[in-house]
Amino acid sequence: MRHVLSETTAHPALIFWIVAGWVGFCLLPWYGVEDGFFAFEWLVDGYPFDEDYAPAAFLIGQGEKLWLTPLVLPLITSIFALGRKKSDPLYAKILIASGAIGFGWLIAQGFGIGIRGFNFEWLKALFGNLGDRQFGMGYGALLLASAYLFLFTQGIAARGAINGDVFVVSAIGGVIVIVTVFVFFPIAKMLLAAFITEEGGYSASVFASKFFDDRLWGLGCLSGGRCGVAWNSLFLAITVGILTTVLGLVFALVVTRSGFRYKRALRALTVLPIITPPFVIGLALILLFGLSGTVTQFFADLFGVQPTRWLYGMPGVLIAQTLAFTPIAFLVLIGVVEGVSPSMEEAAQTLRANRWQTFRTVSLPLMRPGLANAFLLGFIESMADFGNPLVLGGNFDVLSTEIFFAIVGAQYDQGRAAVLAMVLLFFTLSAFYAQRMWLGKKSYTTVSGKGDAGVHPLMPNGLAIPVFIAAGVWGLFTVVVYGMILYGSVVELWGVNNTLTFKHYVTAFSVRIEETGIRWTGAAWDSFWTTIYIAAAAAPLTAIVGLITAYLLTRQSFAGKNAFEFGTMLSFAIPGTVIGVSYILAFNVPPIEITGTGIILIVSFIFRNMPVGVRAGIASMSQLDKSLDESSLTLGANSWQTFRRVILPLLKPAILAALVYSFVRAMTAISAVIFLVSAEYDMATSYIIGRVENNDYGLAIAYSTTLIFVMLAAVGLLQVLVGRTKIGRRTQFGAKEQT
Amino acid sequence: MSETLIASKAAPVRFENVTKSFGRDVVAVDNINLHVEAGKLVTLLGPSGCGKTTTLRMIAGLEMATSGRILIGDRDVTTLPATDRDVSMVFQSYALFPHMSVLENVSYGLNFSGFSKSETRDRALAGLELVGLKGFDTRLPSELSGGQQQRVAVARALVLEPQVLLFDEPLSNLDAKLRRQVREDIRAIQQDLGLTVVYVTHDQEEALAVSDEIVVMRNASIAQIGTPRSLYDAPVDRFVADFIGEANILPCTIESVEGDMATISIEGYNHVLPARGLATGAAKLAVRPSRLVIGAQDGFKATIAKATYVGVRMEYTLEASFGSMFAVHEDVDTPLEVGSDVTVGFSQKGPVLLPEA
Amino acid sequence: MKKLSTLALTSIVALGAGVSAAQADKLALYCSAQEDWCQLMARSFEDATGIDVNMTRKSSGETFAQIKAESANPKGDVWWGGTGDPHLQAAEENLTMAYVSPMRDQLHDWAISQATSAGDKTIGIYSGALGYGYNTDLLAANNLPEPSCWKDLLKPEYKGHVQMANPNSSGTAYTTLASMVQLFGENEGFEFMKGLHANINQYTKSGSAPIKAAGRGENTIGIVFMHDAVKQAVSGFPVKVVAPCEGTGYEIGSMSIIEGARNEDEAKKFYDWALSTDAQNLALEVNAFQVPSNTGAETSPSAPDMSTITLIDYDFKTYGSSAERKRLLQKWDEDVSTLPQ
Repeated sequence: MRHVLSETTAHPALIFWIVAGWVGFCLLPWYGVEDGFFAFEWLVDGYPFDEDYAPAAFLIGQGEKLWLTPLVLPLITSIFALGRKKSDPLYAKILIASGAIGFGWLIAQGFGIGIRGFNFEWLKALFGNLGDRQFGMGYGALLLASAYLFLFTQGIAARGAINGDVFVVSAIGGVIVIVTVFVFFPIAKMLLAAFITEEGGYSASVFASKFFDDRLWGLGCLSGGRCGVAWNSLFLAITVGILTTVLGLVFALVVTRSGFRYKRALRALTVLPIITPPFVIGLALILLFGLSGTVTQFFADLFGVQPTRWLYGMPGVLIAQTLAFTPIAFLVLIGVVEGVSPSMEEAAQTLRANRWQTFRTVSLPLMRPGLANAFLLGFIESMADFGNPLVLGGNFDVLSTEIFFAIVGAQYDQGRAAVLAMVLLFFTLSAFYAQRMWLGKKSYTTVSGKGDAGVHPLMPNGLAIPVFIAAGVWGLFTVVVYGMILYGSVVELWGVNNTLTFKHYVTAFSVRIEETGIRWTGAAWDSFWTTIYIAAAAAPLTAIVGLITAYLLTRQSFAGKNAFEFGTMLSFAIPGTVIGVSYILAFNVPPIEITGTGIILIVSFIFRNMPVGVRAGIASMSQLDKSLDESSLTLGANSWQTFRRVILPLLKPAILAALVYSFVRAMTAISAVIFLVSAEYDMATSYIIGRVENNDYGLAIAYSTTLIFVMLAAVGLLQVLVGRTKIGRRTQFGAKEQT
Repeated sequence: MSETLIASKAAPVRFENVTKSFGRDVVAVDNINLHVEAGKLVTLLGPSGCGKTTTLRMIAGLEMATSGRILIGDRDVTTLPATDRDVSMVFQSYALFPHMSVLENVSYGLNFSGFSKSETRDRALAGLELVGLKGFDTRLPSELSGGQQQRVAVARALVLEPQVLLFDEPLSNLDAKLRRQVREDIRAIQQDLGLTVVYVTHDQEEALAVSDEIVVMRNASIAQIGTPRSLYDAPVDRFVADFIGEANILPCTIESVEGDMATISIEGYNHVLPARGLATGAAKLAVRPSRLVIGAQDGFKATIAKATYVGVRMEYTLEASFGSMFAVHEDVDTPLEVGSDVTVGFSQKGPVLLPEA
Repeated sequence: MKKLSTLALTSIVALGAGVSAAQADKLALYCSAQEDWCQLMARSFEDATGIDVNMTRKSSGETFAQIKAESANPKGDVWWGGTGDPHLQAAEENLTMAYVSPMRDQLHDWAISQATSAGDKTIGIYSGALGYGYNTDLLAANNLPEPSCWKDLLKPEYKGHVQMANPNSSGTAYTTLASMVQLFGENEGFEFMKGLHANINQYTKSGSAPIKAAGRGENTIGIVFMHDAVKQAVSGFPVKVVAPCEGTGYEIGSMSIIEGARNEDEAKKFYDWALSTDAQNLALEVNAFQVPSNTGAETSPSAPDMSTITLIDYDFKTYGSSAERKRLLQKWDEDVSTLPQ
């Protein structure tokens, strides 16, 4: 009695994508619209005949851009698939052929023909000068490309891949394509740039000379000079990794293994740095410990010595990064510390071990994977950090800032930037790989176990005392730093004039109500609204891509899954600077021309932050019994319906975590953003850095403080919107997922 | 009444030379042939790792056979995914969707079957009534007891009127008292509606109670297929004998064979029983504890090694010259003493020769 | 789930709507002067003409790099402000467009000669002399003598008390380097830079950062254009401005239209407007103490008096060329920046 639709009627997905393909070809503008597609100005400005706005069909019809003609053939052949049954082998063949040829030709012509006609010499030699050119692809091309891709995947599914599951095959195909286009392609292009000579050719010796440069690898610091940038970064990263792990462990122990009463406040305190824009902490440190900083002056007066610029350089960057990244270590380690089975510790105690011995011989060894994980995370974050070295670095150069200067400085050395990026990438990828090797499969599900019903013993006294002291000192320090931040936003001119004033807030956010409406006169509004729009647009998209990938990784098995997994997690190890540089190199020219738009910012955020959505999704889905999926399948739902109706509603905590994290990261990102901002799309962090550079500390801090509050509000709002699934029992999804 | 809304489209299931392997090393199911008749309840029974669950999942379409053919009705479903098969399954953990109410759970499958909203609702309510959960529609699964949850799972599967209904160890999560009741309910529904049911369990008593036919599996193959009685009384080898009920395996000698009957002797004690194709010579005998007669007139010598009182009967461990055996006796008021010598014989219908142990 | 898709959809549409301005005329302005001055110029032009201005502020070195990177597909229309050398280099590399404005005859000679030396691809909009400033409080607190010449800065007492920008990223610092070469000759000029290097506590990214740090008390002596130092003093920081006794170089802040600009007409409108007295007088509102190029524009009384300063005859053509620039920067990178401090 079950109506097996797939046998009799045409699959709705097939119809949809064929129609979409035709729409992309005949209705939507083929090339990118300059003033923005959603302005819809192009509709009245010469559409559909104007060359800039015409759909491909009209272009060909007018005799323009004739190389687009072959694209219509696969569209026609795919129609023949409509009449056939899915089990007909010809059905699959038609779709695979149409999709592959269409997609392939689209890519080929996109890369082959650019702004100056043919892009390759051998094409010119073959066909002569083209005499025409094309710009970047627009929504028409995008829709047609997607249509071809999904026709292709449907063909493969009909051939029997993954039991003919169209949704899964298409999801895999889609994720592979977008990760390739937006992660692998730009990185590859950037790495190639390392070999480019002045004249534009490629040369290995140029690469070698740039790579083995003393500025990179010099060991002068051992004899009082300056060390190479690579060593600086490495040494800093290792130190920060160790410090953050230790501090994170300290806080985790205080929260789980002691009788401390204000655990919630402590948790909030440790999480605060995550939502803080990157260099605000650096600024506050200058205000406290700089040459004229409050604390420096105090101690200088106390001891009768001259204050120094001790903060600028490695010490300052180290402190700032430790402050900024300890929360990440804390979040990882709290799961680990809680996950150590209490009954093991109880068993040790019944076997005559005292609390200290238990901790040393049982608890700590069991936490080792988590400690390694936290260390590696701190290492990667330090390597990629851009904001703090910029503000506090002094003469201590690190890879991320050097890359920036190589591109942005007056020398504009693409090759050097690429070489530096390669080294940075090498470090972070090694750490990333080491992390995977060490933790094996367990790296993706948090090591938090569903603990048995036992109670963790308290820390032994010998341990508790130093731990409390460390936690107390560090906690106090964090509070002071944030207090400074707040204070800094309300003083007139720090260090010179300490009168309290709201002037900076006014300069940034003044508003004038006129008859025509609200006039946003404050200096900060432009970048503020841009940032909010971009972050709000990027967050849901990141969550969607991340969760679909997580679904594929946890619930499906297919050939090449390991490589797929590695590829999707890769972008986590790629520092923001590298992404920024590679994006401007790859996407400033056709076929994908999105520099200077909001899209490039959104895309960079999606792929920077996707791994978090993936991890949260994997962790949550692992807690969902597989039999839920299977019962849905046996009840007649296909994978897509199962995903939508059964899995997704139960994943609210993961969705929330992914949304929150993406939003926060988008609001506080700087290292990629600083390359990708443009006249029309200035992001808050880039604007703030400009203020800092300009000595407008008050304005910078006022803006940053506002951002912190905005993010807190946004997080609260998201929690309300996404809501909680009513499943009526005290769930595992509850408290654990909060952290 | 409700029966008019829930009908049955029972179909037979056939496995032809089906093998399932995982990777290169693990063979979960090794070249089995199976035929389940329409409208029958067949149990797959065996120890952990024997392949019964894998076989069940292959019927459902949750695993695909590596080689061989699977037919449901006359249709070759070997490559058909679970979504498209007309097979419903009740999972061990029930797998009720925690975020949906009872009625939504039961209606779930109907949503994909092309019924109108009102018809879906009617059928779902009928299904609930069939399992005795009328009035529970707005509750959440978390608000139900284990037994009730299980019944919702059954209703959810039934309302789709599947060709085959599968149960994966349905009673293992219930407490002992409930098990008997629930297994009788399942059997009743199956017989009333004439459904084809394939049932997996490792509890042999449960299998004996509910099944029309039992398939005993071991090490990825089928050890024996038969009715409960034939399996109990005529196990084909030592494994089956020992798996279904308890069995004492005793060495004996076949003295002579006449037609299909053989005469065996143990220490001079003779007994006549079906030969099962064996010839004279040494052989193994399988005897149920309840078929050993203690204090018989004619028998072999044994000593009481242990005597245990379990309320309903006495259990004795007997030592004979060729080994020990386990016997039961209803007489609890005059138990035999440990150390005493007894004569042990067989009841007329009881022991079986094992064709090859 | 539905809520999510609604959220996503609304955000994307809102983004689209927010992105597109209703107006038809647009201008993409790359500005390399102080941020507040840039803002004022942009908004004032908007008010004056109704053309929607999208302005980004980056240092002259950064802007040059961006224009070069975008040369295949320019996103900016006009580059206003920033020291002249990068403008000259851009002109040499054909990244900017030749244009003779009707406002030209109202300008000082030095502004016009800037234009002719670059084939009319750029023009002078302000000028400022190089010098340095120091924080009087810090100087006193450290018992340091008051410096008045360039060579004073080489004194060992000032070790760790001097700051200048990195010539690779800052026009100001490059002008400093070129000025030393022209003032003392190439060899002695580089010796000076090496000696200076020993006293430098940090090479900043932005040209005016050294004096801002000095204003805040994070640094003692900052080598900047004098108008930057004046601005700090006027803002209330304890900064004293010095015109070095040996003589000094100067910059001509410039403006160029980018070759291939998408909004060429609007760019020309801005160009003309920026050279007018109205536009140039805006400098006073933001405490910009450069000397404006329009002869009719007002100069602030606080601005350094160019007539009392010994200016070298700065050869913009040579030192603005990309070849010379590269050579000097490379030499500085290799010979000076690598030395121990």
